[in-house]
Amino acid sequence: MSFDETFDVIVIGAGHAGCEAASAAARLGAETGLITLNLDLVGQMSCNPAIGGIAKGHLVREIDALGGIMGRVIDRTGIQFRLLNRSRGPAVQSPRAQADRMRYRAEMRRTLEATSNLHLRQGKVVDFVIHHGQLAGVNLEDGRCFGAKAVVVATGTFLNGLIHTGRRTYRGGRAGEPAAVELAEALKNLGFPVGRLKTGTPPRLDGRTIDWSAFEPQPGDKTPVPFSFSTDEIEQEQIKCYIGYTTGQVHDSIRQNIAESPLYSGKIQGVGPRYCPSIEDKVVKFSDKSRHQLFLEPEGHDTNEVYLNGFSTSLPAELQQDLVRMIPGLEEARVIRPGYAIEYDFVDPRELGPDLQTSRIAGLFHAGQINGTTGYEEAACQGLVAGINAALFTQKREPLRLRREESYIGVLIEDLIKQGVDEPYRIFTSRAEYRLALRYDNADERLGQYGREVGLVGDSDWERFNTRQARLAKLRTALDNTRLRRSDAQHAAVSALLEADLGDVISLAQLAKRPKVNSELIMSLLPSELKPIAEADLNSVLADSLYAGYLDSQKATIARLYQHDTLKIPRDTPFGSISGLSNEIVERLDRARPQTFGEARRLPGLTPGALSTLLVFLSAQQKSA
Amino acid sequence: MSTIVALSTPRGRGALAVIRLSGPTAIEIAAQMSGLRDLEPRKAKLAKLNRERQVIDEVILTCFVAPNSMTGEDVVEISCHGSPAVVRQIIDRTLDLGAVLAGPGEFTLRALSNGKINLAQAEAIRDLISAQTDAAVKQATRQINGELSQALDPFKEKLVEVIVLLESALEFVEDDLPAPRVNAIEQMLGSVTAGVEKLSASYSSGRLLQDGVRVTISGRPNVGKSSLFNVLVAHERAIVTEIPGTTRDTLSEAIDLGGIPVILTDTAGVRETSDDIETLGIERTHRALSDADLVLVVLDGGDEVGPADRDLLSHTAESRRLIVMNKCDLPTFRGADSCLGVGQTINVSARTGEGLDGLRQAILESLNSAGIDDQGLLITNVRHYDLLCRTKQEVELALAAFHDRHSEEVVLVPLHNALKYLGQITGETTTEDILSEIFATFCIGK
Repeated sequence: MSFDETFDVIVIGAGHAGCEAASAAARLGAETGLITLNLDLVGQMSCNPAIGGIAKGHLVREIDALGGIMGRVIDRTGIQFRLLNRSRGPAVQSPRAQADRMRYRAEMRRTLEATSNLHLRQGKVVDFVIHHGQLAGVNLEDGRCFGAKAVVVATGTFLNGLIHTGRRTYRGGRAGEPAAVELAEALKNLGFPVGRLKTGTPPRLDGRTIDWSAFEPQPGDKTPVPFSFSTDEIEQEQIKCYIGYTTGQVHDSIRQNIAESPLYSGKIQGVGPRYCPSIEDKVVKFSDKSRHQLFLEPEGHDTNEVYLNGFSTSLPAELQQDLVRMIPGLEEARVIRPGYAIEYDFVDPRELGPDLQTSRIAGLFHAGQINGTTGYEEAACQGLVAGINAALFTQKREPLRLRREESYIGVLIEDLIKQGVDEPYRIFTSRAEYRLALRYDNADERLGQYGREVGLVGDSDWERFNTRQARLAKLRTALDNTRLRRSDAQHAAVSALLEADLGDVISLAQLAKRPKVNSELIMSLLPSELKPIAEADLNSVLADSLYAGYLDSQKATIARLYQHDTLKIPRDTPFGSISGLSNEIVERLDRARPQTFGEARRLPGLTPGALSTLLVFLSAQQKSA
Repeated sequence: MSTIVALSTPRGRGALAVIRLSGPTAIEIAAQMSGLRDLEPRKAKLAKLNRERQVIDEVILTCFVAPNSMTGEDVVEISCHGSPAVVRQIIDRTLDLGAVLAGPGEFTLRALSNGKINLAQAEAIRDLISAQTDAAVKQATRQINGELSQALDPFKEKLVEVIVLLESALEFVEDDLPAPRVNAIEQMLGSVTAGVEKLSASYSSGRLLQDGVRVTISGRPNVGKSSLFNVLVAHERAIVTEIPGTTRDTLSEAIDLGGIPVILTDTAGVRETSDDIETLGIERTHRALSDADLVLVVLDGGDEVGPADRDLLSHTAESRRLIVMNKCDLPTFRGADSCLGVGQTINVSARTGEGLDGLRQAILESLNSAGIDDQGLLITNVRHYDLLCRTKQEVELALAAFHDRHSEEVVLVPLHNALKYLGQITGETTTEDILSEIFATFCIGK
């Protein structure tokens, strides 16, 4: 076969999944081609200009710990940082930042262009090249043909995208951009089961036409918490967002025009995310609410454009303009870009292994919305895992697999490949059974080692990681060894403050577990020769001890969960004759032929019921043997 | 998936027997045996079953088409004449046609894996099959009908409601959600612990219905213990099948006493034997007494109350017991000695059977007053009992954590555990279920 260009890894799509995938593969030494429809829109935020949030912020921290780039890029381009859930425990706190949309794009492109082995190409991929049953490359619409050993598909909403505003529909991957129709066909031709999902976006407003005084300002944190462990300081000038509300008049008008909405006229077949409903949905499904909250989010320093968060809609463009003007403070507002809904194809993620490689075609990886997820962070973490594993695949190295008890990325991937999706999948902390262990602040401790072993964490980052681990260890020892005795003046002072008897002697580690004890108090009691102590370090160590009891019992649960993993499955096990296993499960087992129960447990699509049936069968076999 | 076959009625001779086929080829097998190709779902049809052109039996065929059947698969029920030979021939014929013999509980397992019943119902079916008496059958039937699940559902719903409130507060901090009301949450969790506790407390009775109530006959030699034992066993319906967990090394017999399974133990014959065995016998007697749910203290109504009687009376003073005055047929019968100070006694004659109905009534009343009756839903399965206790423990932990104003993620740990334990009885509540509930309850979506 002759190719116009040959790469080790090709990544299709330069959104949040594609950028991470290409960056990771290239940095692992694979010659990587990143092909996108429009090089000016690399790292484009199609919807809200923000990164992070509860659980999503955790994902970004994990990406960073593994050596990904999203955290660094948002730290350099974020214009409002907030640590969410400050009033709650450390496990459910999470960073979030508004991004300067244009600067984020520019910084992402700069980062990619500064990466050796990484080659940006503009073009439209229309088909895969399969040679002697093996994936060999991709064909482009303009006639070029690129060779590759591995391909990562990260096509987002472009895959057979169909845009709706009111009764109008047109093909597109985003407003004003073409859809990847041929590629969707190519995937179907390879036999992939394909479904349809839907998402939507609100109108953008001209900031000069907004009466800002009618809204309640929402400032960011005074001291921004960055996403990347490598970021010392946030340098972008910080801005405010604004909070407002819809009114009964808006709701009435939406109800009167509900037939105009493709969501309610039956034109849209795809399933949308319930946690990101359109304003039509909010008004119809929660008709008793007299108002719905809105956020005005400036899109960046170099533009007047404002994102009207909370007002996602696919109503006709002219109606959107009328509705916006019914909102107090937006009486004079002008819509720059109307909101719209978009339907797109996704491939059943149960086709994937934990390395995000398809079981159908060796060397073909899927990442992002093609797997049925929603969100930049969800996409980016899959891109990272797929990119790493695509490079490892071409290098014939063992794939990287993350477990759900050690990372949100592991939770997300296991949920996808085991359960599939029937609506766009978003990460939540409640999806993680072991969420107390999965904190944003200990992502480095959980995953840094993997990033280093794979080869994505460079020397300077690794040194910083080790230095921090050493600091944390020292701090832990200090908390255990610093004791308050009844004879000390501090003992009396603290007892009085807490209105409690502390006993004859108490260590700071024990003290930290008592109610009403905060990190400032502990900080003040630590020996001065240790200072200065970074607040983040102290918080990490205190969080460990706060959850210690729960974490121990979780560890026991996890150990129990895996206790059967070494149970051997004989080569000739007749899965088909095990009663209680569905044909689908038998097929999966026959195809994969797992050798141990642990391998079977990790197979996609194996339900807990099927696993326990299998376990009972294997245990019975063992007893009778 | 194979088609399975089994006799569904008890083995042995009877007027009728029912053979059940379940699986993808069940209807085809029935058609081949009967020559009937037009079996309609849920319509009984008279048919002649043939083997090598010989009629085996004239039967009633009823077919149920998947998923509307007991197992969720195609099912055919064959009601044939209850002769073991006929049953064997019909089953052999189905095997010829490709069916396989069902393993123990396989019909239930299939129903379970096809979602026709939940785990609690499956276990109740197992209990029903091994249930010994009417009262136990009634309990098992209640659970099959989902009564246990139904009884637990309100608690599960309350747990889910609290979890939804706390999870949404954590997860959707940027949304405009109403703050959860502390009092309401404490109240909901409190009602869960109370309800679960009440249900789990019924296990002490439920266990007895499942395993049998232990009634021990004791008394000094020659008061007529063995006669009473024998006459009671003869008078009541004996349970022939073995009750699990009972040994028959002592003189024990299982009887059906007014619907309640009773394991009657006679501690007779201790004194009359040699010294070694006597020691052994006394030990055994003491064990039988301390294991007993009810002790029948038998006194000779025609004799003086002696020191051995008084010993026994004081020994059993703390136990649930009935004082039985035997030999009421004798002219020398004196009845209860009022100076005994043991309250009401029951007069019987083991020899003539006089007073037996009164004794039976007294036993039942005594058991009823101990809460052992067949009224209301009882927990009969030790696994269920264990899970309910754990549930209660976890909810109490959550309440304590909530009361101490711990952050939601900490309160949620025991709540999720509690829900998991309840789910092991009634079926799992998945993360997806919780999320659905959140999205149905609150308008989420920044």
